[in-house]
Amino acid sequence: MKGLPPALRKRKRYIAFQVLGNEPVEERGLIQEIWQTALSLYGEYYAAGMNIWVEHFDGRKGVIRCSRDALEKVKMVLTLVSSVGNAKVVIVTMGVAGTIKKCMRYLEVLENASAADGV
Amino acid sequence: MEYPDFVRFYPEEPFTTGYDTYIVFTAEREQAKSNMGIIKGYLIEAESVGELLFGLKKAKGITGVLSNEIKVNKEAVMRKKVDVLLDSVDRRLDYATIKLAAEKNVVIEVALSKFIISSGVKRMRLFEETIQLLKIINKFKTPFVLTTAASSLYELRHRRQVEDFFAFLGADVGKARIHAWKLMRRLTDERYIMDGLEVEG
Repeated sequence: MKGLPPALRKRKRYIAFQVLGNEPVEERGLIQEIWQTALSLYGEYYAAGMNIWVEHFDGRKGVIRCSRDALEKVKMVLTLVSSVGNAKVVIVTMGVAGTIKKCMRYLEVLENASAADGV
Repeated sequence: MEYPDFVRFYPEEPFTTGYDTYIVFTAEREQAKSNMGIIKGYLIEAESVGELLFGLKKAKGITGVLSNEIKVNKEAVMRKKVDVLLDSVDRRLDYATIKLAAEKNVVIEVALSKFIISSGVKRMRLFEETIQLLKIINKFKTPFVLTTAASSLYELRHRRQVEDFFAFLGADVGKARIHAWKLMRRLTDERYIMDGLEVEG
């Protein structure tokens, strides 16, 4: 619902994540897989309350927005995603933040990391 | 503190998973391909008590029992050589076995991979069983470890993710870490005798 006063708006959390897989992954496929896992795990009622939204995804890493109350549930969903289309993937959650700006810092760490760091 | 993960394959070069050591329980006679912290565990897959006892004769090092039968798991807990009761999709444990595991100091593995490889009604049943298992574990303070039990690279997850997942289901993550650390000490520390007793100097 639009136009709600700040006190009535739903609190959000942003999750930075990295996708490791044997094939490149498309954003549309990833979103579909996340929703599919959320629906099968929590059902239509609770999945609706999660407010999952992919804010940013570049094929390797990205940021997901979700409701603060559903953070733990969304983390579980991301852990259980094991394939996107035909590609086998592992979704690694890098960190959680209250704003996109802070969440992007987790991804910057990833960009500046070298293979020697093991990331 | 050193945290081990129990896996069912030899991980070559996994991404950073937050685990320091991999304890490999596999029936294959393959050797580790990389020099990262890998400890070979002794796996006994048994469907009957006879098979278990036969397997235990040759057992050495850290020994894990993988069975779908309640009877076998109960017998395994009572054997001194058994260190871990391994987890799988079809593992069955009863109340008495979990209570006995606490007394005999046998670690119960609670694995994530079974949730990844299953879906639908099967996964629903796994959730229910795991929540109940964790409740009983908390009640008797049974030693347990949270692992991935991955049989391929794509079933591996970061330690933080595994802990978050089971914390949601009611696991005491702090205690799981302590039990994992104790197990590692028992395996790797030469000065270790038993809990609370060690040689100084």
